[in-house]
Amino acid sequence: MSTLRGNREILRVEDVSVTLGAGRRRGMSTGNRVLQRVNLTIEAGSWTAIVGPNGAGKTTLLRACGNLLDRRDDREGRIDLMGQSLDHWSGRALAQSVAWLGTAEIGADGDLSALSAWDVVALGRLPHQRWWPSTGALTTDDAAVVQDVMMQTHTWQLRDKPLLEMSSGERQRVHVARALAVRAPLVLMDEPLLNLDPPHQAEWIQLVRAMAAEGQTIISVLHELNAALYADNIVVLVKGRVTHAGRVDSPDTRAAITAAFSNRIQIRSLDNHWVALPRV
Amino acid sequence: MGWWPEMRSLYRGLVASVSTLLFAISPASALTVVGDDGVALTLSKPATRVVTLLPSLAEVVCDLGACDRLVGIDRYTNWPPETANVAVVGGGLDPQLEAILRLRPDLIVMAPSARVIARLRDLGLPVLALEPKRMADLARTYRALGEALGIAEADARFTQLQSDLGVLKRSVDASWLGARVYFEVSDELYAAGPDSFVGELLTSLGFGNAISSGLGPFPKISPEWVVRANPDVLVVSEQTVGRLTQRPGWSGMPAIAEKQVCAMPQAQADALVRPGPRLVSGAQWLVRCINQLKRS
Amino acid sequence: MNARNTTSAVSVALTLLLAAGALTCLGLMVGDGTLRWPWGLTSDPITAEIIWQIRAPRSIGAWAAGALLGLAGAIAQAIFRNPLADPYLLGSSSGAALAVAIALALASWLGADVSGAAFWGGFMAFGLTGAAFTGALLAVILTVTLAGGVAQGTRLLLGGVVVGVVLGALTSFLTFIAPNVLLNMQGFMLGSTALLNWSAVGRLLVVGAICMAIAATFAKPLDALQLGERTARSLGIPLSQVNAIYILLLATVTGAAVAHTGLIAFVGLAAPHVVRAWLPCQHRALLLLSSLTGGVLLLGADALARLIFSPMELPTGLLTALLGGGYLLWRMGKVGRLS
Repeated sequence: MSTLRGNREILRVEDVSVTLGAGRRRGMSTGNRVLQRVNLTIEAGSWTAIVGPNGAGKTTLLRACGNLLDRRDDREGRIDLMGQSLDHWSGRALAQSVAWLGTAEIGADGDLSALSAWDVVALGRLPHQRWWPSTGALTTDDAAVVQDVMMQTHTWQLRDKPLLEMSSGERQRVHVARALAVRAPLVLMDEPLLNLDPPHQAEWIQLVRAMAAEGQTIISVLHELNAALYADNIVVLVKGRVTHAGRVDSPDTRAAITAAFSNRIQIRSLDNHWVALPRV
Repeated sequence: MGWWPEMRSLYRGLVASVSTLLFAISPASALTVVGDDGVALTLSKPATRVVTLLPSLAEVVCDLGACDRLVGIDRYTNWPPETANVAVVGGGLDPQLEAILRLRPDLIVMAPSARVIARLRDLGLPVLALEPKRMADLARTYRALGEALGIAEADARFTQLQSDLGVLKRSVDASWLGARVYFEVSDELYAAGPDSFVGELLTSLGFGNAISSGLGPFPKISPEWVVRANPDVLVVSEQTVGRLTQRPGWSGMPAIAEKQVCAMPQAQADALVRPGPRLVSGAQWLVRCINQLKRS
Repeated sequence: MNARNTTSAVSVALTLLLAAGALTCLGLMVGDGTLRWPWGLTSDPITAEIIWQIRAPRSIGAWAAGALLGLAGAIAQAIFRNPLADPYLLGSSSGAALAVAIALALASWLGADVSGAAFWGGFMAFGLTGAAFTGALLAVILTVTLAGGVAQGTRLLLGGVVVGVVLGALTSFLTFIAPNVLLNMQGFMLGSTALLNWSAVGRLLVVGAICMAIAATFAKPLDALQLGERTARSLGIPLSQVNAIYILLLATVTGAAVAHTGLIAFVGLAAPHVVRAWLPCQHRALLLLSSLTGGVLLLGADALARLIFSPMELPTGLLTALLGGGYLLWRMGKVGRLS
């Protein structure tokens, strides 16, 4: 069991294996075994980046942490959030405690033309609202949170623009804002830097580090290694197994990352910071 | 007492006049006619303003001599010629409700299978449901319409048609009696089975049917089946007769090779297929046509 | 943001209601070959009967049925996150058509035996409407069963396609072996507002009001759904329950409309698009506005169907297909993508 920096344990993953697709049949899982006996502990107030080659199971691991696997997927093992098993969390409480930013929604799925940036971010307050029966108007508190979050992500000026008219980068930042609007203690983000140009990547990194400093926990799947190297902790996932989990400034971590990418990268120090470059 | 005789005659006169008055204003015995759907229609007197929404019904009404009582017909009614001057109120399935209401009919006759029949009844219109599909239905139609129109000779008229048919049977050429006839009602190879009106006509005339019973009144037949059944006579519409040899296997059929084919003009087709008063004239045409064919 | 959208939505709703009122007046004027307001109603009982018993329930009924279809279309497009979704895609139309075909075939077979006809005579009045509604609901239940539950959108769509094809084939087969059913079925498939009477209007309005109220209370989750199923789940939306409620609403609303007017094409598909082109809005408003728009569309189509070749009338469903299709073509050309 690897322990990562932080104060309290917020998430504990015990012996988790995930099989995608066919679910259970006669007690045995059929289908594609994507995660093999993963063990992990995440401490509160930290930013953990999950890295690894394609197909390693990173997205699946992140989904499992948020109890957001598909119905047909089968999870063995146990995941505890704040000391309580995920299976015993009520839907609403879980929604208030875990915020999710996935990749699929960035496409043109759904009737995005109708929603303005403000509307989308406001949806992030759903876990805290009485949406049934739906009254429509946001409370002033909720509205304040939405405005706050949009200022932080530099999307406030986009607030009236319909999503369909935005560039993919703008849309991405709006979705990040939406995830942040939940104000959940644990934020899960899958490839949050897709479509973002370097200035906005830098903004995102700064934002996440500030959030961690204030006590929120962020777990992000990143394939941009340079951004990942700004995190507090790194989890290296290869073919469904955790090959290493540790602080970013530990040499073992750097060795593990390099090994995971078949030694085709080199990690160098630059200005008191780590940078990953392809090894040509 | 001196005034009693005057009082008595006054009293009698009063009773007499009141009775006469009551008798004059009481309704004549009401007519009740039951339609094919089991729903009874009550009329206070025989109908004088009739709307028909089925061609065969218009033909029967005219055959009963009540053509002048027709105020509305459907768009498919095309016989007798007197109906050309009657207002058309749409089709049997989609009649124009407003037009019908404006005609103030005291009788509407139509097929019970149309969904709109409930709507018409809903509007308070007097609707009688009749749909003659076979000979027995036609007998019932004549009787029902006779009652509704107050025409006592309706039954007799139908019996007349039947006996005319019997007379016609005797004029069928002996060599053709029992010949198996293939009667086609539509270009899509819908044939008339023995259970249809046409089929019953053929049977009454002493012909056989190439189609076996039990397939329904108008089964859709495969061309191959007809070839195997090898009918003695083919009766098809005159529009189809040129295309018969194009059907798979038909060019070799004995009936075609020996030209034992009767081509029906549309009027004769209507007369034969529609269960109505023209059954005799249609049958006459058919018998004449078959008699002229050379039996091999 | 919120406030501005609300006032816009309210003004659009009022406009739609006014349009409905105007078109209803038009509907009252059309039908006898002339176009005049029927003054002096009480003087001529026949005219009064025509106005109140034929034109009025037909116009209002068309509006009500159109409103149901508009609501159904908005729900379908929201749940499946697909702008091409229409109310019939879970098989409800095929189910209703098959049920009507069966009922007609049975009625004609049993009606041939006159003693059985008495039962079927009364059957024709209520039975076909009830049959169509039941058929629609059963077909949707079949689709949901095939899809293994309400949770997965793509499986539901596929199930709907399968059910639609199979039931459609059965219907064709039925009309094949009982050809006298064919003519009645053609009328049903094309869709018509000719059979609407006041009791039909009552039923449509009641069903519409109840379903609209329920749909509006769950509108927020529909907005969340547009972000994707997984994100909606992460926001705490109980996907299965929400889907189940909306599918039930969809089946009920579509079944009620189809039972009274047959298969009216395009109204359900086009109404949400018309609203979105006019005023992008969230689902709480979209459901209501789409419903009002559907009502105006079908009411207008009905009036037009009776006006063009007056006093003859075209089947309303034919007109909605032509107009609706034309509108969508125009949108495609204008925008360059299907909005």
